[in-house]
Amino acid sequence: MKKIIIILLVLIALPLLAPTPGQAIPAFARKYGFNCMMCHTAYPKLNDWGQRYRDNGYQLPAQQGKEKTVFDSHTPIALRTATGFNGYTAKPNKDASSQTTGGFGLKGLDLLAAGVLHKNVSVLVIYTPRIDEPTADYTGTSASQPGALESASIIFSNVIEDALNLRVGRFEPAYHLFSSKRSYYLVSPYDVYEYPALGGNYLFGDNQIGLEATGHFDMGFKYGAGVVNGTGAAPDNNKFKDVYLTLSQTIGAGDGQSAGHRIGAFVYYGKQPMIAPIDTLGTMPPPVSPTGEYAGCDNKPSYRYGGAASLNWKTFNLAAMYMRGLDDKAFNVMDATKNYEYDGGFVELDYAGMFNNRFVASALYNWVAPPEYDDMSGKLSAYSALVRCYLGDWTAVNVALHGEYSYRKLELGETTMTENLYSMLVDFAF
Amino acid sequence: MNKLIALVAVVTILVPIAIQAGEEGVKPAAPPITGTQALGLGPVKLGVLPAPPVPPDNPQTARKILLGKQLYFDTRLSKDNTISCATCHSPTMGWSDEGPTSKGIAGQRGGRRAPPASNSAYNPLQFWDGRSPSLEDQAKGPIQNPVEMGNTHAVMIRTVEDIPGYVEEFKTVFGTGPITIDQVAQAIAAFERTIVTTDSPFDRFALGDEASLTKLERRGLEIFNGKGRCTCCHWGPNFSDGRFHNLGTHPDMAKPDVGRYEVTKNPKDMGAFKTPTMRDVGLRPPYLHMGNEKTIEDVIVFYNKGGGLKDKNLDRMMIPLGLSKGEIDALVAFLERAMTSLNPEVANVKPIPASEMPQ
Repeated sequence: MKKIIIILLVLIALPLLAPTPGQAIPAFARKYGFNCMMCHTAYPKLNDWGQRYRDNGYQLPAQQGKEKTVFDSHTPIALRTATGFNGYTAKPNKDASSQTTGGFGLKGLDLLAAGVLHKNVSVLVIYTPRIDEPTADYTGTSASQPGALESASIIFSNVIEDALNLRVGRFEPAYHLFSSKRSYYLVSPYDVYEYPALGGNYLFGDNQIGLEATGHFDMGFKYGAGVVNGTGAAPDNNKFKDVYLTLSQTIGAGDGQSAGHRIGAFVYYGKQPMIAPIDTLGTMPPPVSPTGEYAGCDNKPSYRYGGAASLNWKTFNLAAMYMRGLDDKAFNVMDATKNYEYDGGFVELDYAGMFNNRFVASALYNWVAPPEYDDMSGKLSAYSALVRCYLGDWTAVNVALHGEYSYRKLELGETTMTENLYSMLVDFAF
Repeated sequence: MNKLIALVAVVTILVPIAIQAGEEGVKPAAPPITGTQALGLGPVKLGVLPAPPVPPDNPQTARKILLGKQLYFDTRLSKDNTISCATCHSPTMGWSDEGPTSKGIAGQRGGRRAPPASNSAYNPLQFWDGRSPSLEDQAKGPIQNPVEMGNTHAVMIRTVEDIPGYVEEFKTVFGTGPITIDQVAQAIAAFERTIVTTDSPFDRFALGDEASLTKLERRGLEIFNGKGRCTCCHWGPNFSDGRFHNLGTHPDMAKPDVGRYEVTKNPKDMGAFKTPTMRDVGLRPPYLHMGNEKTIEDVIVFYNKGGGLKDKNLDRMMIPLGLSKGEIDALVAFLERAMTSLNPEVANVKPIPASEMPQ
């Protein structure tokens, strides 16, 4: 039984041991001859200028139409990966002995292509190829990174000046008021983003497929609204499309990334189908589409809502987010009489120092609190810290020595499990 | 399914609107950027300057350049024989003047300081507001500006025609025929195309001589191209995008200078001025188009605060930088010395004494 628990713990930790590098796009820096710190406080975290660049469809703020397209510039392809040592120690309960695993590995790989196709028409594609060696569980039986098209979107900017921009395809939704893709944390970013819904395939932290409208205004107000499948990369198996709205306001100069302050709120509403109907013989029905979709049935609602704030002082950034989630009681295998409600969030303090922000230190507290009767998911408290030192020169600062530690406490009913994750990586992009 | 159809319809309708909006987003600017003058689409990487573009209808010749130099330094082109091009675009002041704004005839002060004549050959548009499409066109302007040289083209031409030495020079350069304002402008422009500074410590560094920059200056260069975000406008070999930006330099003025708006009448250009080159910037304080900032450090502190944040039309690229004192010092070191050219043919240009002017 103890071995089974340990194996389960290791399996739970697998995603944490396989950090994905996230997004930093040297193709843009190469196109312009800019140093990475033009757009990033320190990569991958965007600064205000970088945020405005992204908001303007990967065109310089207010300079659309005056730059080269992908046809006239360098091949707009970039790569980011991280390699080094990852360690994991778990203690299933206070009386158990610690179990440790870890080793060197190549952790995550992003292939990015992005650029301007035509004035106000831009594209972003991020592909994460399958990586087999070394496997995340060191057994050689599974991939450390599955192949996935993380993003593939086209952006129509300035449809109505700054007030309306459109993204179509698979993209990071605007309700991520803090991007986990561009977090300094490679191993343990925002746990509440990854907390699985009980029903369907919706995961708050996933990129989504659909259509999104965004806008920003001179007074610092921003909005984002979208219609998406709500299934991440999985086939869409219900006819209801999910919708969301996010609003934010910047106070002071900047966009609240590294200057000024920002507060925001979001709400996401979707319907997730119950599992596909299984016939009396226990077999799945045939797919209803060439892509393998099954007809969803008995769609039930789920929603997420929350708020966030980002405060800046000098080169310190304090970020906080709270989210509450609700899945219909039909999904609740713990207590079918109640909607499944949980909440969580994080508080993060970042500091960027030395010249050109070549040093970053950060502390992060994550928590996720499922309902009290759920002693399977567990109440999570995680304390993380990291330092990053950047190497490079005036043309690029694109190599980061990354040290990250996370202490995680999971309360499973009467049992408290603790985990320690630590990574020493070299994170680089070009 | 109906929702899906509606979604597709929305996208189908909005895409052409987006593209059309993009095409119509910027109102036609007057005058247009010509092919030979355009810095091209950018930003592009900082680097060494190529040869300056020369318009096909005004090729460079040694005699024309000499004539242009004589005219450039000749105060007789002004109404009261006191002001030449070099008065405000002085080689001893980094091809600008002591400011804060430029002084014309009879001690009159203009509203702006003289932009540098050096490397102006690379500017897609001339003047702070870009109202002139070429050096040739620009050269005609100050002669008849009542605050600057206060003359008229006709009177100035008669003055030149009355100087036998000039008549001979014009005949040699342009052939027989009356002297025209276009010929005067072409000659001055030809001379200005020789005021090109290509040999700064930065250029040597860019060509591989790492010792040409100190450690502090190298840090300054990195800040310039990174956290300082200077290169979002000061890009390319001439360290200028040749475009127009509102830095919020005078939000409190009762009647602020409208800048580029005067030319385009586009509200987005209100208060926007052309990005000047950073080459030789250390030679020509004070800074900004009105000379508001006395030193380079003052300018950087201004940018570090995000510029004039009260201006409602502030450029979207103006955001507080978060530079530390050490980073500002590094940036100052880079700009003051590493951007200062060592070209003797430009640095040693001396005003032509009156006794050596055509008589």
